[in-house]
This record gives sequence, C-alpha cells and structure tokens, in this order.
Amino acid sequence: MRRSRWTHALSQNAGLALAFAMLLASLIIYCVIYYATQQRFPGGFEITTTVNNTMPLALAAIAQTMVVLTRGIDLSVGGAVDLTNALAAVHLGTTLGSTVLWSVLILLVGAACGLVNGLLVALGRLQPILVTLATLSIFQGIAIRVLPQPGGQVPQEYTNILANPMGPWSLIYIVLLALFWAAFRRTRLGVGVYAIGNDEAAAQSNGIDVRRTKILAYMLGGTFSAAAGLFLAATSTAGDATTGNGYTLTSIVAVVLGGVSLFGGRGSASGAMMGAFVTTMIVNILFFAHIDPLYQAFYEGLFLIIAVLLAGGIGRFMRRRAA
Amino acid sequence: MSQAQPAAAPAPSPVRRFLLSTERRRIVYAWCAAVLLFVIGNVVRPGFAGFNSVQAVLVVASFVGLVAAGQTFVILIGGIDLSVPWVLNGAAILMVTSSLGQNDRAPLAIVLTLGAGALAGLVNGVGVALFGVPAVVMTLAMNGIMEGLTLGLSGGLTCQACASYAPPIVQAAVHGHLLGIPAALYLWLFIAIVVSVVLSLTTFGRSTYAIGNNARASYLAGVRVTASVVALYTLSGMFSALAGIMLVGFGGQAALGMGDPYLFQSIAAVVIGGVYILGGRGHYIGTVAGSISLVALISVLMAMNMPEYGRSIIYGVIILVLLLLYGREAGEP
Amino acid sequence: MAPAVEGIGLSRSFGGVKALANASFSARIGEVHALVGENGAGKSTMIKVLGGRIAPDSGTVRIKGQEVRLSGPTDAHALGAWTVFQELTLLPWMTVAENLLLAREPRGALGLIGRRRMAQDAEAMLAGLGIEHIDPLALIEDISLAERQIVEIVRAISHEPDILFLDEPTSSLVEREVAWLFGQIRRLRARQTAVVFTSHRWNEIQSIADRITIFRGGEHVGTFTEINEDEAVTLMTGQRVDTLYPPVPKLPSPAPAMRVEKLAGPRLQGASFTLHKGEVLGIGGLAGHGHRELFFMLFGAERAASGTVSVGGREVRIRSPRDAVRRGVGLALVPEDRKTEGLLLAMSVRDNLTLSVLRRLSAGGLLRQAAERRMAQDMVARLKVRTPGIANPVGGLSGGNQQKVLVGRWLLAEPQILLFYDVTRGVDIATKHEIYELMLRLAAEGRSILFYSSDAEELAHLCHRVLVLREGRIAAELTPPGITAEQIVSAAVRDSLAA
Repeated sequence: MRRSRWTHALSQNAGLALAFAMLLASLIIYCVIYYATQQRFPGGFEITTTVNNTMPLALAAIAQTMVVLTRGIDLSVGGAVDLTNALAAVHLGTTLGSTVLWSVLILLVGAACGLVNGLLVALGRLQPILVTLATLSIFQGIAIRVLPQPGGQVPQEYTNILANPMGPWSLIYIVLLALFWAAFRRTRLGVGVYAIGNDEAAAQSNGIDVRRTKILAYMLGGTFSAAAGLFLAATSTAGDATTGNGYTLTSIVAVVLGGVSLFGGRGSASGAMMGAFVTTMIVNILFFAHIDPLYQAFYEGLFLIIAVLLAGGIGRFMRRRAA
Repeated sequence: MSQAQPAAAPAPSPVRRFLLSTERRRIVYAWCAAVLLFVIGNVVRPGFAGFNSVQAVLVVASFVGLVAAGQTFVILIGGIDLSVPWVLNGAAILMVTSSLGQNDRAPLAIVLTLGAGALAGLVNGVGVALFGVPAVVMTLAMNGIMEGLTLGLSGGLTCQACASYAPPIVQAAVHGHLLGIPAALYLWLFIAIVVSVVLSLTTFGRSTYAIGNNARASYLAGVRVTASVVALYTLSGMFSALAGIMLVGFGGQAALGMGDPYLFQSIAAVVIGGVYILGGRGHYIGTVAGSISLVALISVLMAMNMPEYGRSIIYGVIILVLLLLYGREAGEP
Repeated sequence: MAPAVEGIGLSRSFGGVKALANASFSARIGEVHALVGENGAGKSTMIKVLGGRIAPDSGTVRIKGQEVRLSGPTDAHALGAWTVFQELTLLPWMTVAENLLLAREPRGALGLIGRRRMAQDAEAMLAGLGIEHIDPLALIEDISLAERQIVEIVRAISHEPDILFLDEPTSSLVEREVAWLFGQIRRLRARQTAVVFTSHRWNEIQSIADRITIFRGGEHVGTFTEINEDEAVTLMTGQRVDTLYPPVPKLPSPAPAMRVEKLAGPRLQGASFTLHKGEVLGIGGLAGHGHRELFFMLFGAERAASGTVSVGGREVRIRSPRDAVRRGVGLALVPEDRKTEGLLLAMSVRDNLTLSVLRRLSAGGLLRQAAERRMAQDMVARLKVRTPGIANPVGGLSGGNQQKVLVGRWLLAEPQILLFYDVTRGVDIATKHEIYELMLRLAAEGRSILFYSSDAEELAHLCHRVLVLREGRIAAELTPPGITAEQIVSAAVRDSLAA
C-alpha cells in the first residue's frame, strides 16, 4: 500500500507542521487580544516592528539549526552575534564602499568563529557543548575589546535596507532564507549535515566526509550568527557588545519550538524561523494582554516546556497510530 | 578462549597505581593547577599566596564550589543544570525578603529558601526523568521561569523588603572567623565531605554513577533510575539556593544578575575538576580543585589589572586547552 | 589468477580480547564463499577488516592482488568491495531513496538534488532487482527490519561490486526473501563477483556456497569444498557435540513456578504457558517474532497490553524491573546485549556484580564495603571470572568473562526464575560450556529457567521443553524426544510447516 508524496511529506514533517500551527495560533491570539485592547487590528507599523525585531533571532535560529542538525549545540551563537554586532557598529562607516566591504568582512569573521568551533569539534573530537561554552567566553571578550561602551554608528541607509522602519520589507529576507534552505537541503552538503545527525558512523561508512561536513556546518552557522549581528546593528542603529548574549538561549528556544530535534538529523531552518516568530509573538501577546513585562521570562519558560511536551505527545500519538 | 594471559607486569608503586586511573590523574592536575596559580599570583603580586589572600580566594571559591556540587551531581548522570543563575538569584532575594534582616526570622527564611531552590530542582528532575524533556531545554526553561517569578514578585527588586540586608547571623556565617579561618570555609569543608561520602560510600552514590554510565542497564538491574534523577536535580536546585544565601551573607544585599557568572563558572569548575561531561565518572574533590583554580585564576588576572575582556578570553582559552589535554590523554571520543 | 580478496595473518584485539589471531582468508573471483563459525569466532571482525570498517593490528589485506591499506569503507568501495554489515548503516530519519542514493544523488539544475528524480531512480533501482513492496519515500524508521535489510543489500548490489561481503544477511529475512537474495547472489556470481557471506543456517550455506571456510576463536580452521554438518560443527566448536552439552537433569514431578496467561503487547499476540520448578523451558524461533518482547514484558521493562502473570500461584503485577526483582517475585533477566543493556563497562567488576543487591548491602544508606568486597570476591571465585581484580573495569574483560559477571549479578540476587535471553551470544566455547553447566545446576536446585537462544542446537540440547514463537504466537510446543534443532527451525518457519 503506497502513500502519496503529500501524505509522506506531511507525516514526515510533523515538527514543521506543529511549528506552523503554533505560529498561526499565536498570530490569531495576538490579533484577538490586540483588537480587544485597541479596538482595531494590528496594522503596518506593528507588522514592520515585529518582523524587524525578529530578523536577528530568525538568523540566529538558523545558525543554531545548522549545528543542532549535526547533533551538536552551539552556545557561542550569542558571542558571535556580540562580536559581529560590535564590529558593525565600529567599522561600517558611512561610505558605500566601506559598508559593503565591512559587511562582507564581518560575515567572514562569523565564518571564522564557526571554523574555530568546527575544528575543535571535528578534529579535536571534543564535546560541542564545552567547546562552544569556551568560545562563547572568548568571542564575548573580543567583542568587549572591540566596543568597550555601547555606541558606534550604523548608517541610516544600511538600516533602511536591512530593517526598513517604514514597511515590512524584511519579509523578503525571510522568503529568501526559506528558499536558501530548500536549496541547501538539496545539496550534497545539506544531505551530509542531516546524515551526520542521523548516525555519524553510518554516514562515514556511506562515503560522507564527516569532518569536512561538520566543519562546514559550524562555519555556515557562524556566518548566520554574523548576519544576525548585522541585522541587530541595523535595527538598533548602534552597537552593544552585550545585547547579543541572549541569542544563545533564545536561538535554542526557537529551534525547539520550530521542531528541530536536539538529538540531530531532524528538522529544518524554516521551522526554526517560525519558532523565532512564535517567540516574538509571545512577547507581543504578553504586552497587549497587559501582563507585567517583568513576568515575561516566566511565561516564555512555561511555554517552552509546554511546547516540548506537546511536540513529544503528538509524536508519540502519531507513532502509535502508525503502528 | 585459550589465549595466554599477558604475563603479570611487576606491581607498580602505590603512587603509580593511584595515578593509573585517568580520572584520579585529572583530579591531581586540577589541584596542581590551583597551587601553580597561587605561585604565579605570588610572583605577579607578592603576598598573593599569603594566608589572608588565600583565605579570601577560598571564600569566593566556596560559592562556586557549592553551585558546582549540584552541577557535579547532574553532570554525573549525563545531564546539565542551566537554571543555576536565576535559582540562585531568586533564592538570594527570597532570603532577604523573607528574613527582613532579622536574626530571629533567619532560620525559617533559610528553610524556605532552600525549599524553594529544591522545588525548582524537583520540577527540573520531574521534567527530565518522567516526561523525557532534554535536560538542556528543561533547565533553560526553568531558568526563565525563575527569572520571571523573581522579577515579577519582587517588582524588579523594587519592593520594600528587597532592600533588606541579610540577617547578621547569616553574614557572620560567611565572614565570621573561627580559629582564624572564615566560617564559610568550614561550611564548604563540611559539604565537601558529605558530598564525597554520598558519592563514594552510599548506595545512592553508586546508583548515580551507574545511571551516568548506562541508564538503561541500570534500570534493567533494578536501580531506581527515575527517583535518583529527580533527587539529583532537586539537590542541584538546593545547592544553587544555598550559594544564593551565602552570597547575600557575603555581600549583605541581593542584586539582580548576581547569579549570572555562576552558570559558566560552575560548569567550568566541574570540567576542570575532571568530571566527564557525558557522565559516569568524576569526583567532587576534583570539582573543589576546579573551583579553587578558577577563582584563583580570576584573582590573578585581576591582580595583573587585566581588563574584563582579557579575562573573558583567557577563561575560554584555558578551558579549551584543558579540554584538549584531557581529550588527548583519555583517547576517547 | 590472484584471488579477489585476501587477508593474510590478520590480528585484531578489542580491549585485550583477541577477535582475530593471525587469521587468513581468501575468496576467488566468481565464487560464493561462506564464512562460518560460532558467535565470537571472528567472522564479523574479518569482514569488517576486509571491508575497511576497522583496521587490523597486524597482517595484510590484498584486493585483486594488490596490497592495500583501507582507512575506511570508502577506500574499499573505490576498489569495488562493498559490505553489508551486521549492524545496518541506514540513516533512520531519512527516506529509502535518500539512503539508497546517499553521496551519489542525481543532480539537476544549479547542481541541486532532484527530489522527484531521486524517487524515480530509487524506485527503478528496487524494481530492477525485483523489489516492488518497498516505498522509496518511506522513512527507514517506518519500515520493517526485513525491509531495512533488503534496502541495505540493494544499496550494496546497486554499486555492481566486484567483491561483496554480506554479514548475516539472512538473519531477519523469511524464506521467500532469502530465495530472492540467493537469486541475486547467483546472478552476481555469474558476473564474476566474489561473494563472501556469513550465516548460521546450515541448509542455506550448503545450498549456495562454493567453498566454506571455518573460523574458531579468531583463527582460520580450514577451507572446504565439501563438508557435512556434523564435521563442520565439530570443527567450529573444537569439541564433539556430545561433550559440549552437559546432560540435562531429570525434571522432578511438575510443580508450576510461573504461569503466563494470554500475555500480549507489541509483537506479542497472546502467549500462555507454564514454567515449572526446576525446568529449563526453551523459547525458539526467528528474530523479530516477539521473543524479546516476551522476555522484557515478563521482566516489567516493557508494557504489556493485556494478560496476567502468576508466580508461585499468586498473580503479580510487574510494572518495572524493580518490581520483578523484589522478594516474592524473584525474577532475573540476563539480556542479549550485555554492552548496552547489561553492564556498566567503565565501572568495576565489583560495582557490576552488586548493582542489583545494593539494598541488601546498605546500612542506613551507607554501603557495607567489606561485605560488598567479600560478596564480589566469592562470586568471582564461584564463576571462575578471569579478572586481575574486583576493582578492575569490567570493560577490560573478555566477552565470556563479561557475561559471567552479568550472570553473577543475578545469582547474587538469588532469583527463583531466571530469564536467559541469548546469553551465549558472542561468548567463547569454554565459557559457553560453563554457562550451560551453571544453568543446569540452577535448575537442579529447583530454580526455573526461561531460555531463549538464536542457536537451535543449544535449545535442543539443554531444554526440558521448547516453545517456538512465530509472529507473536506460540506455534509449537516440543517435548522429548521431539526436541531437535530441525524441529525447532521448521516450526519457526511457516513456509516449511506444511508437513
């Protein structure tokens, strides 16, 4: 009895479907609460701020996904965001030439951060959690050296391009990133990343160069962390060597909400981006529900646990039905 | 099989035999590192290895050491406790607000605070052991929950009681001297002995190592896996709370963010002390050495007037160097 | 002409245990060569070395006459040598198509992998080898063990290998699938491929092998073109069959020790039987037909959907191994995979022995160290465990001695009913013999033993009665004199049960 392509696609992407359902639910709840308190529906301004504020997290979540898919975890995401954010604030400058040059350089710095992690994990054969804990400290240190006090400047045009405050143009980047991921999944490197997360030894014996693939996955992760740093600089129009810290934890939250398995090999960056948006929507909902912002972390933590339990429960349910 | 057994090697000397186990060797390294750092410190700033200076370092190390005791427990079973910062911070604030700086309220406040820490740990343990939530996610979420509760209930530390000082008796328990040695160190010594005895000489300790080695096999051997895991996370929460109490006793007042450094430092202390991050092997005595080395290192760097960024980079580099050394030596993935 | 593949004087040890001891093996171009021997004889290790999965400690490997150093399976692949390892190397959360075409995916525009084409290619690949029932879009974790085995075989064959190693390829296949595999092997032989395979089923070996090589204790015993089963078994065990198995004690008048009624759950469709005091009750049948589930359900390690279990005439509810171990129930389970389900490899012999009786050694939570040491030393002496000391890690012992430690753990718990699940797997002959003697001694003492073995000979020689499980049901009950390996195997395989 053969099932159709679509039945397969749906049953094999339950995590993604769940993330989408959560995103939809959070959007509906948000609209309802917004309407109840403001007597109108959220408009262009709300959408724009939400998108612009979520972009750095969405990118950090992709960075985290890259590493988590290989059955690792990257605690240094926050440090890499800090470092690249600081570099952006100090060096982007005002001329087009320097802005473009430094944007590229900063992405390369991110890749280098990932390279360090990747080399230590793949060649040093060390635990990813410890390696990235150590490099987190190192990247944060360098970030503070680059930008000891909050400040620096990001040109207005730069902000307009990456995080235009006049309209939700950044949604284009989300679409591009989703397309990128769909393509990445169809490259040998992408398949290799998933294969390593499935079973490293089996991937190795089936002709996948595990070391190379891992190093590249960490490097790509670092590059996405750097992109997050650039977007963060663009939205806040200045730099701070410590605001990026939070992205280590929130990127893990987004990844988990997005249906990426922390045991590797399952999930997608598109799901992680949805997870990032769900995280932002929760903050929005809490805000418009007039819940004391001091309690924000409490509800986020609670929601994270509920989401994980829910995902696990649904997974078990589907398995039982299949059996 | 009838393969000839290798001829018995000449019996190694007791010292050599002791050092044959890599985990014991790591503990020795950690202690050597601690001593070495005091020697280096004394070169950088004469008097660093003096009696008073060493005491001061040890008192600060005791806070790390207490948190790291809990972290040792959960890492021994292959878990991790990321909820340390806000369990500690929440406990510190609960301590001052419930005692209001009064000695006669102190005992109850201490029980309440330790209980709150234990409760947070209990929930962690239940989530991990009963519901199968990955430890990283569960304790991360708990950190958020404790942060939200602490900030929300204390109004962002603006409440009237929040400005209270720690009861004098608690302050004395940290600063007071007995036979010329700070009271905090007696407490740490006591805890170190209890934790080491529990791990090495009790059935509970044996189960802990067994679970860390192979949880499935332990379960099939009739070990109470779920109960042990819950108990260990509970203990970790309680140790974070205890460190919170000691810290308000040390500083006098509670502050927001006072728990933040302790996540990195407790994990680092455990790793420096030679506990395997995947669980099953290691001793608290190593973690003690790791805590002292770490705080001594921080103090040496401060003595050298090393700016914050430099310290941060150097911690990271040292952890990496140690990991590479340990990894090379054990020769395991 | 040079042999297709040759291993000369190969040695390889794992943690002090020699899996291969100066062993040699060679296979010619265009022949089917069976590699046989007991569990732990070194067959799998030889295949892993020749297939590039592990490096030998010493010795040389030649492929097509060329001396080679294989640093991974990919090196062997480049030389045309492909292997289906016993532990399958499929990726569980990827589709059949992705697995079949891993690292050689069809790429279209922009160098991207074409999903649709991949599914078509995989479908064509399966169909070309006569496989219609496997959906290329299904995830590996969603297909059956037999289907996974077939996918793994198809992947290897699809590379048109010059040399093909198959390690226990038929272990989870039913007769029809075995026939398919043998058809493929004959086709490959006609194309001058050298096929090397291992199997425990003698009729399979005789029906297809051109030559047979026997291994024992990591050494090459001999290579034959013609050999009968009895001679082969004697060479494999190094012992005449009648001295390997100790005599089974007479069963006293039957008194029930455990009664199982309609036990059902995943893969088990309702099993009812009674185990008597002093009885060794064998459970036979092919892997994957509910044996494992039966044992784990009885021990509380897996949830039963329905059914009851009574011990000593009293119904008991066993919901965890802890319930099973407690006084009044007194069960013990020696699981199949001692490395993942039995032992704590990094911990000492003592720690492993006393793990199930810690409560008895506790005085107010503290371990009574001296008593524990004595207990461990006594058991080491009783079972003749060869270890430098009770403080040494159990991972450093040989397979047989590890198994003794595991059995010793349960003897310390003084159980009335022992569940032995394939305990002699990967154990050397001498230890096997000791375990047999121990089992029968325990039975003579009045304890009851439920004994599953993948080796039908073992069951035939050691049991008072044998139940054969097929598709989760008890398909046959064999009693003396009807307990023979042939009877067990034929009851296990439905297709040949017509008689």
